[in-house]
Amino acid sequence: MRDPVSRLTGVWRDPRVAIARREWRVLTAEKTIVLALLIQLFIAAFSSFLVVGLVSLYDPGSVEGYQVEVAVTGDATDDLLLALDEQSGLDARPVGTRAEARAAFDTGNVDAVLAAERRDGRVFVDAVVPDSNVETTVTVVQVREALRAYERTERGERAAWLDRMTLDLPPKPASSPYYGFTYTVLVPLLLFLPVFISGSIAVDSLAEEFERGTLELLRVAPVSLVDIVDGKVLAAAALAPAQAALWLGLLELNGTRIGNPALLVTLVAGLAVVVVTMAAAVALLAPDRRASQFLYSVGVLLVFGGTALVPHGPANTAARLAIDSAGVESVAVVSAHVLLAVCCVLGLRRLAAGVDPESH
Amino acid sequence: MGDWLDWLREHLRAVARIARWEATRTAGTVDRKTAALGVVALLLMGGVVGVAVTTGGVAIDRDIYRVGVAPDHPYATPVAESSSLEAVAVDDSRADVRVGDGFLARDDSRKGKAATAALRSAVERHNDGLMASEGNVSAAYPVIVTLEYRTQGRVTGSAAVGGSDGGGSGGGSDTASGESGTDGGDEGSRTDNSGTDDSPFGSGSGSLDDAGDDDDELPVPGLGGSGGFFSTGQSGSPADISPPFPFASLVLAFAFLVPMNFVIQAYGSTILNERINRRGELLLVAPVTPGDIVAGKTLPYLGALVAVTILIALAVGGGPVSVAAVVPVALLFLAATFVGAMFARSFKELTFVTVTVSVFLTSYTFVPAIFTNVTPIALISPLTVVVRDLQGEAVGLGEYAFSVGPFLFGAAVLFLLGTGVYREEDMFTQRSVPLKFLDALDSRLRGKPSVAALSALSIPFVFIAELLAIAVLYVLPVDLSIPLLLVVVAFLEELAKSLHVYAGFVKARFARLPTTALALGAFSGLGFFVGEKFTAVVQLVGLPGLELGRAAFGPAGIGAGGGAGLALALLFAPLVLHAVTASITALGASRDRAWYAAGLVAATVVHVAYNLVVVSALA
Repeated sequence: MRDPVSRLTGVWRDPRVAIARREWRVLTAEKTIVLALLIQLFIAAFSSFLVVGLVSLYDPGSVEGYQVEVAVTGDATDDLLLALDEQSGLDARPVGTRAEARAAFDTGNVDAVLAAERRDGRVFVDAVVPDSNVETTVTVVQVREALRAYERTERGERAAWLDRMTLDLPPKPASSPYYGFTYTVLVPLLLFLPVFISGSIAVDSLAEEFERGTLELLRVAPVSLVDIVDGKVLAAAALAPAQAALWLGLLELNGTRIGNPALLVTLVAGLAVVVVTMAAAVALLAPDRRASQFLYSVGVLLVFGGTALVPHGPANTAARLAIDSAGVESVAVVSAHVLLAVCCVLGLRRLAAGVDPESH
Repeated sequence: MGDWLDWLREHLRAVARIARWEATRTAGTVDRKTAALGVVALLLMGGVVGVAVTTGGVAIDRDIYRVGVAPDHPYATPVAESSSLEAVAVDDSRADVRVGDGFLARDDSRKGKAATAALRSAVERHNDGLMASEGNVSAAYPVIVTLEYRTQGRVTGSAAVGGSDGGGSGGGSDTASGESGTDGGDEGSRTDNSGTDDSPFGSGSGSLDDAGDDDDELPVPGLGGSGGFFSTGQSGSPADISPPFPFASLVLAFAFLVPMNFVIQAYGSTILNERINRRGELLLVAPVTPGDIVAGKTLPYLGALVAVTILIALAVGGGPVSVAAVVPVALLFLAATFVGAMFARSFKELTFVTVTVSVFLTSYTFVPAIFTNVTPIALISPLTVVVRDLQGEAVGLGEYAFSVGPFLFGAAVLFLLGTGVYREEDMFTQRSVPLKFLDALDSRLRGKPSVAALSALSIPFVFIAELLAIAVLYVLPVDLSIPLLLVVVAFLEELAKSLHVYAGFVKARFARLPTTALALGAFSGLGFFVGEKFTAVVQLVGLPGLELGRAAFGPAGIGAGGGAGLALALLFAPLVLHAVTASITALGASRDRAWYAAGLVAATVVHVAYNLVVVSALA
């Protein structure tokens, strides 16, 4: 029985760990890992910017203090005004005739004109909104919300002629759609992008050895191809959970509560091993870097695109874990990923044992 | 003349030979093994999709909120129908929101609120579904809305495009407003003073009667679904009107970008391959120029991209305009990858470079296109031209040149830079990317006047960066975004004017003397000034009409009013400014890196001060 220190140095000196350390050194020297983090930051910032921008465009509730001025005219003005008054962010006022309303619109005194006429037991509303500017979107969304409320009132008055009744709506809370986006898109994106990049690193690292012919030196080195593949897989796969933990920490610092961080990092680690072993297998089998990168990117797209559709796929599981709505199934999914990772590593070792390093 | 033709013929022959060689080699590497692996990947995809379909295929937001609801409660059905809501027992402590007989209780957390909002939209969707199957249409849909877009503050009305006929006849069928006057109110509102517009209320293409002729069995003459995305005027129940968001066209436009991300992978590989184990040396000693080699190696990939683009255009219904707008994007993708592959030290580094190129160019082209219908800034992306083309709108030549120009110039300059280092001492040595970049800049310098040429060539990149800055800062309030933009613009321009000067000093091409630095600064300023005049293109799309556009391009002396004396002063003031600031940075660059950085800051401050004076003078 050896003491822990010498066992630790034993691990440190293990050829596979030595190869992994060399990989990390190269990555640090090329500063590519910095670039990778910057890219992810850019994607995160940009997608957030986009969503915040779009949300403020498409969700009037989140635009603080912006009032849409509406001129209302026509014979259903009174009923319509009642519905509009309940809508926050809308300021409606009656106007005598359509011509007056249009004049007010053209001079920019109002943002929208609603002309409501009763005909054939229905109400016909002609809405005029500004053309092609940022306010258009907010105005249209506000007008739609108000008219939907009005439609519910009018529908209620015609309940006797309807076969089925609609359900009453729950009260509208002051909530931002950005909340859901953070967990369903941003968190999975930040967690799985490092996995994708790790796989790419594994492909490049192996393909480069083949292309430069450096694997021929193996004949005189005390390591086998299996050791080398192990070391490279270890180096690449370890990066993804580390980055995932970093992102989760940053999100938490930013005030976004993340549930089940340990399970999330385990999920990423499992997925990273699966993807990286797949990448290594492609690099071992494909003839050159061009072919292996192509096959790898197509494969990864398929894996991520395909599993996004599956219930309890990695993206959905990550979202549910992070938002703290995870059930027993989520834990089962994480375990399944770890199990799959073990199988992939065993499979890759068998494959690597059968590959002749000089055949490329 | 004859000599020149011979020269051209010879080069073309060399390019064609290398292109043929590259194409056959590429085809050769796609051997049986790769093809077999590809088939396996496809089978895998089939399996995954099959699993997804059999299990009902869901979105990523599945079951992220828990609703405590009894199975016999009316809300139980909407909750079951919604993908993001999971039903749990009412007394389940994990529930984010609970509903029961006449009560609704929610967590007072952000999640509780978000869950309630999701519940509300689920019930709303459920109600819409109920009403869609109602027999009594007028009772189910008591309110019919006709939406019209109209330009404010002008007399001319919006161009109503007939898009309600679902079948994609979106283009050109301008249903004149007068026709549909039957259902619009005729309340004596036709007191128009301009002939171009009949009535603000009578227009709107999807009038009730028109829509009723549609073949589909919708109980409401609504425009939901795809038709709505293409139309500018809408009518239907209130649920059917939506903001002008070119969703369908955007998705289709995105299809053009997807193949580029794959092709640049292969292209980057083949360029870097030449640099591994000195393989490219044989080609370098052959009687061809580096330009021939680069052109020959690029041609097959460009050809492939053009072919794919044409195929996609045929598939999604884009015209020649779409192809003409996408090809410059493809060129820039290839050019950026080429430079990246010339700089990268290993495949790993190349991967990061290609990912960066993909991410940056994809977002730069795709994001502005989202705002196609909102602001003219969207035209900085050629994809906006594609979206417009897909929507059946005409695109002017000026607008086309505005969005495509920077891409073409940028691609040309990048190829020029990359070809400059396509030589033995750069290809087969391991140097860091910034050093290689300085090398590439230096390789384009000959004498002092060439500094001016390089300054002018940097314009497209400055232009792209400035437009990107506008797009990013656009969301901020004007009080904040304009000062910020002035600083960013000044810094970018100073950087563009000085980087190659710095490269020249580092590579010892120029003597580190103050007089040399001043001369170089003057040349750099002159070159930039001349190049900047090309930004006059922005006038064509009226970008200066936008406040931010004025801030960014106003200082360039565009769109200035005033008398002849003022105009002349405004014409030459930028020249003096550029020469002065470029001299400041050149003086710094002639010392060392720290001094260069300090010079850059000083020049930016001077530039911002000048811009503030100009902007306030114009305002």
